[in-house]
Amino acid sequence: MNRTSRIWRSAGIASAVSTLLLLAGFVYAVSDIAHPSAEAGAKAVAPSGMEQAVKAGVWDVTSIGDSLAKGTGDDTGSGFARRTVDLLNKEGATSKLVNNLGINGLTTEELLPMLEDPGVKYALQHAGIILLSIGGNDLFNGTETLTTGEQVPTQAEIDAAIDQSSAKFGQVVAQIKKINVQALLVYVGLYNPFSDLEGMRDIGNDAVARWNAMAMKTLGDYDGTLVVPTYDLFTNNSSRYLSSDHFHPNGDGYQAIAERMVQGIAR
Amino acid sequence: MKALNNILPLVKNETIKMIKKKRFYVILLVLLVLVPMFAYAQLRQAEDKREKFGTDWRREVQQAITDNQNSLGSDRVPEEWKKYRQIYIQQMKYYLEHDVNPREPGGVSFTREFLDNAATLFIPLLIMGVGSDIVSSERTGGTVKMLLTRPVRRWKILLSKLVTLLMFVSLIIVSTCLICYLISGLFFGYRGWNMPVFTGFQLRGVEVDLSGVHAVPQWQYIFMQAGLIWFVSIIVAALAFMVSVLVRSTSASIVIMMATLIAGNILTNMASSWTSAKYLFMVNLGLTNYLAGTPAPIEGMTLGFSLLVLTVWGIASLVVSFLVFTKQDILN
Repeated sequence: MNRTSRIWRSAGIASAVSTLLLLAGFVYAVSDIAHPSAEAGAKAVAPSGMEQAVKAGVWDVTSIGDSLAKGTGDDTGSGFARRTVDLLNKEGATSKLVNNLGINGLTTEELLPMLEDPGVKYALQHAGIILLSIGGNDLFNGTETLTTGEQVPTQAEIDAAIDQSSAKFGQVVAQIKKINVQALLVYVGLYNPFSDLEGMRDIGNDAVARWNAMAMKTLGDYDGTLVVPTYDLFTNNSSRYLSSDHFHPNGDGYQAIAERMVQGIAR
Repeated sequence: MKALNNILPLVKNETIKMIKKKRFYVILLVLLVLVPMFAYAQLRQAEDKREKFGTDWRREVQQAITDNQNSLGSDRVPEEWKKYRQIYIQQMKYYLEHDVNPREPGGVSFTREFLDNAATLFIPLLIMGVGSDIVSSERTGGTVKMLLTRPVRRWKILLSKLVTLLMFVSLIIVSTCLICYLISGLFFGYRGWNMPVFTGFQLRGVEVDLSGVHAVPQWQYIFMQAGLIWFVSIIVAALAFMVSVLVRSTSASIVIMMATLIAGNILTNMASSWTSAKYLFMVNLGLTNYLAGTPAPIEGMTLGFSLLVLTVWGIASLVVSFLVFTKQDILN
């Protein structure tokens, strides 16, 4: 038995075995993709763990809601969520951002089904402080129709929007409290982003005032809630606190909101 | 049987040539050098994430979902990407609902992810490394005349080369898996064989049909991946084989194959509006996508379609190879 024969033998056997193995894998893969059968595996994985006892850090923050919760307009990307965490840490608490679940353009109606998602529930359960910002898109229905000035919503339209969304807002708050009753729920009150727009100023102010009163009342029914007002910050300082899109706060605006939140959180 | 007896010694001869020319060792060496680099990069990435999310994968997955949801609202994101992201969101939600970590770190998971990423370019390149010069090197070296003066039919000589090439295709894929697992295990540990992986996501436009989704242990998933990659590699090998027959110079045949493969990779990223590109073989190399449930690069591509396209290309290139090799004059 010389060396070349040994090479041939081992290479031959190894490749024959490999080929058979890979061929089997190929056939298995094709049949599995062609006829996916759910019976076999799905039950093998028991959905568990999610229900297990949750230990949330008292100062850990999850923010949820619309673009404000996300931090849109803040050039650093921090938003009030991360800025609040930073401020809390600066004051000696050990805080971290669990998740920032803010989604641009979210309305109360869209937030409700989100609260059924296990991942969202999980993030909320692991927070000691939940920052909620919602309602702005319900009232102002996005920036575009308004800033172009073509379709300024009438008083009646805004009234209808408030009535409709109030009920949804109540459900949102109830659901969040159901998911995590211990956490402090901090709601960011609305401001009027159109305080510098002649035609929208009064209508906007009125809508925001009514919405905020409703929010205050809704959250007042629960323990461990807080409404942080922002209306006064922006009403005369829109150029200082609003970003270039004239709708979202800029970094300074978010910083101002975060400072208010930290002031309001009991320690 | 007599034909087989004739061919076996030729295959043996070719196999020994392949080993002696150290082609296969070069490929092993490439893997041994590159896989630790990939594993290290992945390790750093994992450390980075751990800093942000701790060991809490659920938060990480949820954040990935939210981030993708946010990009759906943006007008700057092309529709095609939105479709990918919508599908991704639904799959990640499914993982969360079943409380399964889609990215549990470990040597086996690394191997699975590596195979997914290597399926369309890296492994085909390795295959090309042994395939592209299997015939042309005999010409470049002038040994083809000696080969053809033996009292054996030409097609048998070519067939023996083809068989040898296919043997090494299998060897390369199995060694890739093994090297990947053994090396990444040093970084991430050797566990994760039975970790559940979901497969069977059926795509209907942007909707994901979850009725067929089922969990398979990770080793089974890798088994399936390797099988699909093997099929792709055989087709790539057949094409490289044809180019090797057609083109005299080894470096030219390597360049041709390499350019085609890379072009395929570029095309899959932008060909969505040029639908007839789906008949090109290099757009159909991502068979593992069908397993993972990621959308095919071009609307209307299914596993059956891709298999058919690849098979036609494979058979055509073999036919061309044999016709040309048996007919052509060997001059120099």
